[in-house]
Amino acid sequence: MSRKLVIDPVTRIEGHGKVTVHLDDQNRVTDAKLHVVEFRGFEKFVQGHPYWEAPMFLQRICGICFVSHHLCGAKALDDMIGAGYSSGVQMLPTPEKIRRLGHYGQQLQSHTTAYFYLIVPEMLFGMDAPPEKRNVLGLVEANPELVKRVVALRKWGQEVIKAVLGKRMHGIESIPGGVNQNLSKAARDRLLNGEDGLLSIDQVIDYAVEGVELFHDFHKKHRDEVDRFAKVPALNMSLVDDEGNVDYYHGKIRIVDVNKDTVAEFDYHDYLDYFAEATEEWSYMKFPYLKELGREEGSVRVGPLGRVNVTKSYSDDTPLAKAALEKFHDYTDGKANDMTLHTNWARAIEILHSAELIKNLLNDPDLQGEQLVITPADSAWTGEGVGVVEAPRGTLLHHYRANRDGAITFANLVVATTQNNTVMNRTVRAVAEEYLDGKAEITEGMMNAIEVGIRAYDPCLSCATHAMGQMPLVVSVFDSNGALVDEQVR
Amino acid sequence: MNKCADVAAEHGVLNLADYDHPSALVYGIGNVGRQDDGLGWAFIDWLEHAALCPQAELLRHYQLHLEDADLISHKQRVLFVDATKDSQVDTFRIERVTPRMDFSFTSHAISVASILATCEQCFARTPDVMLLTIRGYEWELQEGLTPAAKNNLDATRNHLISISSLTEPIRRYQ
Repeated sequence: MSRKLVIDPVTRIEGHGKVTVHLDDQNRVTDAKLHVVEFRGFEKFVQGHPYWEAPMFLQRICGICFVSHHLCGAKALDDMIGAGYSSGVQMLPTPEKIRRLGHYGQQLQSHTTAYFYLIVPEMLFGMDAPPEKRNVLGLVEANPELVKRVVALRKWGQEVIKAVLGKRMHGIESIPGGVNQNLSKAARDRLLNGEDGLLSIDQVIDYAVEGVELFHDFHKKHRDEVDRFAKVPALNMSLVDDEGNVDYYHGKIRIVDVNKDTVAEFDYHDYLDYFAEATEEWSYMKFPYLKELGREEGSVRVGPLGRVNVTKSYSDDTPLAKAALEKFHDYTDGKANDMTLHTNWARAIEILHSAELIKNLLNDPDLQGEQLVITPADSAWTGEGVGVVEAPRGTLLHHYRANRDGAITFANLVVATTQNNTVMNRTVRAVAEEYLDGKAEITEGMMNAIEVGIRAYDPCLSCATHAMGQMPLVVSVFDSNGALVDEQVR
Repeated sequence: MNKCADVAAEHGVLNLADYDHPSALVYGIGNVGRQDDGLGWAFIDWLEHAALCPQAELLRHYQLHLEDADLISHKQRVLFVDATKDSQVDTFRIERVTPRMDFSFTSHAISVASILATCEQCFARTPDVMLLTIRGYEWELQEGLTPAAKNNLDATRNHLISISSLTEPIRRYQ
């Protein structure tokens, strides 16, 4: 009898996902899907609200990457009032750097959560370890000193966010055309030099270096397993600057293939000319793809692995991250890296990159500048805006329109997890074929392998569906007739 | 004695006067944009408006994070206040928290017991931690408590005031 295996909810990813694996009479995998079954709502909720509420309102989609949503919305509002990139206006140095500081702080904090809390325990204990051990609380018991450092690192990232946005979650910093405050010298010095109970920036960089080394050690011991696990082809997408290096806050969108040849490069305001979205009846999450290449060839990977594949290098003022990136690039001889678990290597490199970028900003006197906002004439109003940033999980887009009274009439959000939808489904299929194919018994380790594959993307399904609230993973098994024969909920 | 008081008696009296000290923390968990999820913050609002525990550190956060283990390691006495959907809780519940790795962790959720266990393991400190949960009913995208949740908050406040007035108000941290 053929069977269908369903994993629901996928543990330790944000939001609620369900994995179904269909097995035939010989227990061979015939299909595997990641379903997202939560209803999306924010694009509708925001309609009718005053335009200036959007960055405050829509950041509440997520408790992890809220700064990205806030900044993306702010960039869209810049456009809307005629003070944005769509009107050819360059933001003033102080507000742009303040925004960047908050953005990098969140990336450091978010990546630290994903990498150290969720992924490192798996690296240290193995994916076959019992669930109660392979999580950060297992790490607390096994290596409290490491956890102490991680707690300090996350706390420091939160202090950056708090210094910029006023509070550690869902704060307000950006306003249309700029920001509402600069960074005081006292706040700057506290982050640079640390204090009792707070790391200095140099300690943060040291800990970030250790994070990269942790992956190197793990990789050395488990090279074959790590490299073989879910090698998934896809295009890679990121915002880049004029040098072709990743810019997490602003740039043009570049998409490269496995040879790192550019297959598309465009101003993100034109995204509708390049991207289409497919839907499936079994998932609320859409499937974006490049129109020109079609759905199969035109799906992209975003996030840490996508970014390090796209970026040519990092700037010379982030030397440690630049060296770490060169080692990463050398590993695949300059080709794009499609090894799913190397996403965690890329994530560790980006923690270091963020830390070095923050150090550079903290030493920049523009953060104490007094010119905080551009206020254009009423006649500059465009009523439409698009914002894109590289959120921790990948390219994030907000697109709004408002009427002349300032009420939002349209909102479209394309989040990183949605961009990764196809590649995540390919990953689930690859892992299922590797670990489940031909096996009569479904083990805990096999189930977890599927989760590991999904978790590499650090997906935020509540972001992807714009739903609210805590959503837990479910896995189910069906026979060839579609009858449920097994189900596990963790 | 009502059911709430039974619970309180079972786990020890929560005397608000014990928290009127700089080494105490009262930590409201919740989201005022989600109806009754705002109960934890509403409790903090009440402390502030009534000028109770003026020496304590009062915090409002959306959710717990592992670094809260570091935060509470600097305190001697901590009161977490949260809303609960648990139908076993009639109005409110007061419980003393013991350190326990209960593996509830996701990056969106971690238990108070796990925070305390992490504090103990990583920072070699075990503050006295109490958890006050107040029953809520609605979690929709809307500001303001439901009338039933507001009644529960009022009952909690009345209970704590009565208990605090009955117990020795001045007991500090020698």
